[in-house]
Amino acid sequence: MTGVLSIPVIETKRLILRGPEAGDYPDFKSTFTSYRARFMGGPLNPYESWMLYAAEIGHWQIRGYGMWMIHDKASDETYGMAGGWKPAMWPEPEIAWVIWPDKAGKGFALEATHAVRRFLYQQKGWTTAVSYIDPMNLDSIRLAERLGAVKDNDAQSVDGSDAVYRHPAPAKLDGSQLAHGIEMEIGHYTDPKFKPEGWAID
Amino acid sequence: MSALSLDIPIVETERLILRGPEARDFDTLAAFFADEGRSWGFGGPKTRNEAWRWFAGNIGHWALHGYGFWTVETREGGQIIGVVGLWNPEGWPEPELGWVMFAGSEGKGYAYEAAQAARSHAYGPMGFTTMTSNIIPGNARSVALAERLGARYEREFTNVTDETEMAYRHPSPEALAKAEGAA
Repeated sequence: MTGVLSIPVIETKRLILRGPEAGDYPDFKSTFTSYRARFMGGPLNPYESWMLYAAEIGHWQIRGYGMWMIHDKASDETYGMAGGWKPAMWPEPEIAWVIWPDKAGKGFALEATHAVRRFLYQQKGWTTAVSYIDPMNLDSIRLAERLGAVKDNDAQSVDGSDAVYRHPAPAKLDGSQLAHGIEMEIGHYTDPKFKPEGWAID
Repeated sequence: MSALSLDIPIVETERLILRGPEARDFDTLAAFFADEGRSWGFGGPKTRNEAWRWFAGNIGHWALHGYGFWTVETREGGQIIGVVGLWNPEGWPEPELGWVMFAGSEGKGYAYEAAQAARSHAYGPMGFTTMTSNIIPGNARSVALAERLGARYEREFTNVTDETEMAYRHPSPEALAKAEGAA
């Protein structure tokens, strides 16, 4: 095996998504060795964290898709990861995301995950997608719901301890009210002056 | 496109080919890791999921470090018989030369042949100037191979899973060249 592992770049309004690179590892490690990683099999020790990061890269080689590193378009600083994930034993390909704890609440996960989902549907031919979420990970469940995913009680989970959220099919995201709503919410973050009229307060 | 370099050289010996990991290797590797009797000295046993993460992690190890574990195949018949390579994830004291032979491929001198080739490649094209091999106490077969390769016990250390492990130090590139010249 010789050559390079090419990973497509995805751009959104505020973000640029690139494959995981060696220089991004310290940011990944900070989160995955912390309490933040409790819903993602962590906290990990430094060895486990490094091996997981290496596996994120290997995943791209094996599956042809994987997790992108989310960067700020202007400063290049990293905010987290989002992408497609399917290690052995995963019943279906998953759309997964993680945001570094100090970067949460700015809509980065929504913006990045919305973009990677569109990429996986349009460029990789996915016809459906799930997210496996710890039932106690309320932030992630809320994000899945904002992305239009719905709990799928019939789908097989990874190990019985996780809930399966089914994403809307590609056609459901094509010019739909749901897609418009997601774009509008992202717009709310990208333009802080934007305040939609009649926004629910409660 | 962003691009990571993934240049995995092919190393050939008299009977063996060392090549980069490929998806078709996984089932054999997973079977090895599932067998505690064989894999306890190599981080096992591992579930299929854990084995896959190691497998994917090895590919990433090549991308991040420029070295890792090769899959070892017989030149004749193309049978996958083990892995050998250079390993240095976070938490390792320094890069090491590691080896594993799968069931049915022991006792033929394959591990010695593969490990020697990997070490030559490390000292030659890859530019390593020293090499260790880490062995869990009780793994007599690995100790025997390390010693056959000329490595000598150096010290104990605490590994990433808080176990005591032994570090063996291989002869330097110069010492090996000298020994070869004398032979």
